[in-house]
Amino acid sequence: MSYAELHCFSNFTFLTGASHPGELAEQARDLGYQALAITDTCSVAGIPRAWAALKDSTVTLITGSYFELNEAPAGFMSPAFVLLARNRTGYGQLCRLITTARRRATKGEYQLNPADLIGHNLSECLCLWLPPSHSPLSTEQMTACGLWLQACFPGRFWIAAVRTLEAGETDYLARLERLAERLQCRITAAGQVHTHSRARQPLQDVLTAIRHRTTLDQAGYYLFQNGERYLRPLAVLQRLFPAAWLTETLIIAQQCQFDPGSLCYEYPPDLVPRGQTPAAYLRQLTSAGSQRRYPDGVPAPVQALIEKELGLIGEMAYEHYFLTIHDIVEFARGEGILCQGRGSAANSAVCYCLGITEVDPSRVELLFERFISKDRNEPPDIDVDFEHERREEVIQYIYRRYGRERAALAATVIRYRPRSAIRDVGKALGFDPVLVEQLLNGIDWRDRETDWRQQIIDKNLTRNPRVADQFFTLVTTLLGFPRHLSQHVGGFVISAGPLAELVPVENAAMPDRTVIQWDKDDLESLGLMKVDILALGMLSAIRKALELVSTLRGRSVSMPDIPPEDPAVYAMLQAGDSMGVFQVESRAQMNMLPRLKPSTYYDLVIEVAIVRPGPIQGDIVHPYLRRKHGLEPVDYPNPAVRQVLERTLGVPIFQEQVIKLAMVAAGFSGGEADQLRRAMAAWKAHGDLTPFRERLIQGMLERGHNADFAERLYQQICGFGGYGFPESHAASFALLVYVSAWLKCHYPAAFCCALLNSQPMGFYSPSQLVQDARRHGVTVHPVDINQSQWEHTLEDGGHSLRLGLRLVRGLSARAGKTVVSERPVSGYRDMAQVHIRCRLSQSDMEKLAGAGTFGVFTHNRHQAYWQLLAHEDSLPLALNDGQGDSRSDASTERPEPEEPALPRPTEAQTVLADYASQGLSLGRHPLALLRQQGYFRHCLDAQQLTRAESGRPVQVAGLVTGRQRPGSAAGVTFVTLEDETGNINVVVWLNTARRQRRPLLTARLLHVKGTLEREGDIVHVIAGKLSDLSHLIQTMNVPSRDFQ
Amino acid sequence: MLWLYLHFPHLLLDHLQRSRKETSAMVVITESGQHVQQACPEARKQGIEPGLRLKTALSLATELATVQADPERERLILVQQARWLYRHAAPITLYPPDGLLVEASRLQRLYGSVDALWDRVERLLSDHQLTASLAVGQTPLAARLCARAQRGCRDHGDDTALMTARLKALPLDHAGFERRTLERLLRLGLSTLGDVFALPPTELARRLAPETLMYVQKIQGNRPDPQTAWQPLHHFEQQADFIHDIEYTEGLLFPLQRLLGALEDDLRWRQQDTDRLLLLLHHHQSPATRITIGATGPEHRAEAFLDLVRLRFEQQSLAAPVTALTLRVKRFLPRHEAITQDLLGDAPDLQEAWHTLISRLQMKLGASTLHRLVPQADHRPERAWTTQEPGHRQTGTPAVAAHHHSARPLWLMPHPRPLQETPEAWLAGPERISAGWWDGQRVHRDYYIAQLASGALAWVFRDVREGWFIHGWFG
Repeated sequence: MSYAELHCFSNFTFLTGASHPGELAEQARDLGYQALAITDTCSVAGIPRAWAALKDSTVTLITGSYFELNEAPAGFMSPAFVLLARNRTGYGQLCRLITTARRRATKGEYQLNPADLIGHNLSECLCLWLPPSHSPLSTEQMTACGLWLQACFPGRFWIAAVRTLEAGETDYLARLERLAERLQCRITAAGQVHTHSRARQPLQDVLTAIRHRTTLDQAGYYLFQNGERYLRPLAVLQRLFPAAWLTETLIIAQQCQFDPGSLCYEYPPDLVPRGQTPAAYLRQLTSAGSQRRYPDGVPAPVQALIEKELGLIGEMAYEHYFLTIHDIVEFARGEGILCQGRGSAANSAVCYCLGITEVDPSRVELLFERFISKDRNEPPDIDVDFEHERREEVIQYIYRRYGRERAALAATVIRYRPRSAIRDVGKALGFDPVLVEQLLNGIDWRDRETDWRQQIIDKNLTRNPRVADQFFTLVTTLLGFPRHLSQHVGGFVISAGPLAELVPVENAAMPDRTVIQWDKDDLESLGLMKVDILALGMLSAIRKALELVSTLRGRSVSMPDIPPEDPAVYAMLQAGDSMGVFQVESRAQMNMLPRLKPSTYYDLVIEVAIVRPGPIQGDIVHPYLRRKHGLEPVDYPNPAVRQVLERTLGVPIFQEQVIKLAMVAAGFSGGEADQLRRAMAAWKAHGDLTPFRERLIQGMLERGHNADFAERLYQQICGFGGYGFPESHAASFALLVYVSAWLKCHYPAAFCCALLNSQPMGFYSPSQLVQDARRHGVTVHPVDINQSQWEHTLEDGGHSLRLGLRLVRGLSARAGKTVVSERPVSGYRDMAQVHIRCRLSQSDMEKLAGAGTFGVFTHNRHQAYWQLLAHEDSLPLALNDGQGDSRSDASTERPEPEEPALPRPTEAQTVLADYASQGLSLGRHPLALLRQQGYFRHCLDAQQLTRAESGRPVQVAGLVTGRQRPGSAAGVTFVTLEDETGNINVVVWLNTARRQRRPLLTARLLHVKGTLEREGDIVHVIAGKLSDLSHLIQTMNVPSRDFQ
Repeated sequence: MLWLYLHFPHLLLDHLQRSRKETSAMVVITESGQHVQQACPEARKQGIEPGLRLKTALSLATELATVQADPERERLILVQQARWLYRHAAPITLYPPDGLLVEASRLQRLYGSVDALWDRVERLLSDHQLTASLAVGQTPLAARLCARAQRGCRDHGDDTALMTARLKALPLDHAGFERRTLERLLRLGLSTLGDVFALPPTELARRLAPETLMYVQKIQGNRPDPQTAWQPLHHFEQQADFIHDIEYTEGLLFPLQRLLGALEDDLRWRQQDTDRLLLLLHHHQSPATRITIGATGPEHRAEAFLDLVRLRFEQQSLAAPVTALTLRVKRFLPRHEAITQDLLGDAPDLQEAWHTLISRLQMKLGASTLHRLVPQADHRPERAWTTQEPGHRQTGTPAVAAHHHSARPLWLMPHPRPLQETPEAWLAGPERISAGWWDGQRVHRDYYIAQLASGALAWVFRDVREGWFIHGWFG
């Protein structure tokens, strides 16, 4: 006897199914089922995972979906039914139907109308009708409904009988028999499975309670009466169902021959000109590109590389993929949108010639070994970064070019994480929600020593150990369950035929966005290809800076024009002077730069990858630095390992090296190494690679490595977890590091201007960027009603920076741009003229006045504001007047009202008002003002600190601009203080932090007594005593709430 | 005219603290649950200030007790304070959620001086274990602003020049302007209320708003600011709220003592007695338990009432943990007047009469004997119905269609009885019920309808341990 389960929900029927597709698949295999249909509600999202689990087994996977009609077609009831795909055509029909129902409803919902079943061609789908188990309807009324549904699926219609052992089942089964008789159709057994095993009933109950937003106590009859909706053993099935109904399942399964593995990507043919083959066209484009890249002739090694790559591309038939990306990049270039590709396939000579990347193979040959892996049959991977402000244009181009029918974003499956799982399970179990929130707030997620479970026990969530056990089991099981589909940041799927026949498309939360039902892992496991269209703020800034430089130089300057390997750039980076520079501007990177002392492009590639949790936890930073500076010999156990690790001095830094090592040192096959890579990516937080441990270590021992080496390598791999950075990405990033550093080094004003015009982006606030620019000799002029543009601009031949109106907080872009466009040649005469010419609202005027932009009319900002307040009622009168400058006369002719003498703003008031209105001040730094008032006599400023000797006790004070607790540094808090001369790095060890939490967590102005510690050019203050001096900001005589 | 204003910076916390024996850090959190709204002195000692993020507060004080803000509840607590203050100072105006205003001029004569009044109020506050900041002002708003800014000062409470100076020195962000007005005033470079007073009034109205001028004039006393005097309700009602649930009746006696003390004070002041108290014990989910305590005659002594309650509590255990306790008295008797003892009492409203009937029946028969049957949504047969105290509506259970198909016996036995014989015939089954894992009362059973040798139709089940039981009988 055998059985095919034809109706099974996975947890992709969100908050209903209580088992992963993989669990269901494995259970079906273990029970000896012949086939398993995954039939999620109006979805095929669970199919790829079930398929991957059943790929190598004898169980056939059937693709289907469960629906309930939106209205009653025959007047009495809305039928519920399951559709199964008979073949590839049927699958396409099913996908189309799902797409129709999903696109019609809001995100996460579906709406299937009776007309859809008539309007769609469903000739290759089978229908299993599920009559309700309890219904007040008569058999006649049900028959009417059944007849209607049957008519939609002539000859492909069954009644599915579910045995739940619930009350009233005898009546239900008798009724099914009657219906089958009237409809002249056969009955098949079905499980309506919600869990792979009966033990999941508690979780299923919890999901039901969550779905109905109630507690288990209150859920009552929302819950199932028992846990019988599981994958039953064959013996049990035999007892419950007549043999004929069981046999029927096999007959139906026999008809379902669709294999998701047979889906293959069909590339859009649009890109190849008529009459040309894709290969020839790609060769033609590459060749044209290579001539552009190498006007003096393509170097022989590069030409050879191109040939090799084209050969490989042809062999794998990937031409369309490269052509697709080339097309998108060409569009961007035509629109002046800066972009750059990265990823293993991106760092290739072909991509360089096609303009997808700027990494020149003749300069860095090291990177071009791994291009496309032939033995792994995985699709090539290219991510393309675009300017963050203009990525939408690219996305809209793709929709335009391929149509919404053929292009859609991949989904991201949002899953339960500890926080959400604890919250939802807590709610379902009826824990006090305030208590649960309090617990969640109290949990230190980074505290690795005591995991959250222990922390919760410590916090007495419940005194009942049985409840606690239950809670933890449920939370742990729920972790990783999908909650809903969201849109991937930029992964596009583009197809040749209608996409909706490849995979269903549904609505995303954003208007005009659609996502497919699969995420990038699903696409990868089915071998489908996607193009990642990502947003990168730095590209916007670089493009803007290059435009400014072009204007200054009087000729166009683009990325390839930037001279390579400029020593001045490296000297600047070696000094840790990198604020604003791409990727290496964080405090950790700033500290690493003087230690790593990058002097070549490839050093930057390493710099980008080494300050990451992976290398830090794998403890490879120090060995690398020692070797780089010749303090430790570089050795390799054998030539094969040498080949992998030589460019990083024998220490694995990149993700690719770890994978390659597993192959070279432990003898992993390409496939095994690929599994390892996925495990590393999937187990991000946990680093659980134990399944690979034995194979790795055994493999290394067999190849003559000693146990010590093997263990060390394994530890490094574990430390890497998912946090290793791929070299193929670092290489492209390093180029942007170099370009942005070059701009900062040679054109600090233009660079700062471009960064400010691209906000929000990067690590630092405009205030910090402006201070940094001024320290580099850039003169910065304030926002001025008669001088500023909307954007920030350069003045004095590029040596000074004029702040733009966009800096004024809350000022609308429309108002700001009007001020600029309406400005008379001679400038505005007075505020009234601004008000009337630009027809600004009172609130916009107040914002301009508050930011001191009217300084040209009166130096007393308060007085300016007072005058402005009177204009409110004069405006409508003036608007009725004629055109031109006479418009402003109305207000000047008014009798002069009584003018109270408002106090002139003090320096401190001006500074604080600047901060409040534009987030920065060009006046003196608050610390300088306070110092003048006699505070901080014993404190060193940031400049003095750089000259102080190591080990001495010091006192420092500054505004707190950053508090960080990196996951990679156990318990340490890094505080950054800012004073008038620069930034001070304070290190607070865990014990110090515990004793002085209050100043550490809440101070805005902090005083620190500590010890100076110096390592080369890097200076830290190790904190001893912390004092919160935030109240001093108030002594500057202005309420502190304005100062943020 | 002089006004005295009482500002309670953490009234809700004081109120909760009074019903506890131990002291620990407590805060009130905003309704969104993200920020601290009030912090008790103990919490402030640990660095927690209103406005702080809850997350930060919790990392400063790990054992922090939190209470959700509830304006309605705070208003009721404020009324309770007005009630005792009313006996010493009137008229009173309520400024919910945290202030009381007293007209001090008239009381000045009663107490001799404003300072004497101030001292009396301070002593009363300390008797009631409350924290409040006081201020005297020449206008209601002046008193209120100074009190809220904690700039009130007892000495020379009637020195008007000093008061004016204090008012003028008030920083603008304590002056109660709405946010937008405050921003504008600050942008003009003004920093104190005195700076605003100095502006020409017509210009102030024109450039800011007429409402702003009106407000400023009310502070100064140049514009009338009539106050609505609060009238105490005729009946007596006070509530004690608990930060941790109380699970045993003994735990209720401590807070009750204070409530009865307040009642005694109230009755003395009224020169009246009562013979009937209503206690409401509030629970999380279920409706409040009502306990009526009848005295044999008119009474006002807290001690006497406490004895009665203690006796009553000895017979009664709590149906569910108690979150709050209300003491209510609606019936006041002239001292020494004879009491009518008809069955329904003389309560005019029927609802009250119904409660009186029920509570008298309960008193006579014992509280646990009177019930009402209601269905309950639960798959477990023994939990598919429940008893409730009569007179209360069913709450909570979702309205999912009940199992109208279920074959359920009319007679369900209180405890399943082992099945001792092999049934003659099996008529229906199995029906599997597996539910209740979450509350420790899990059942996992297969039910059958079986005919026994006697001819009776029994509802029998087999449970996980393979035992057979009779759970009920069909007619």
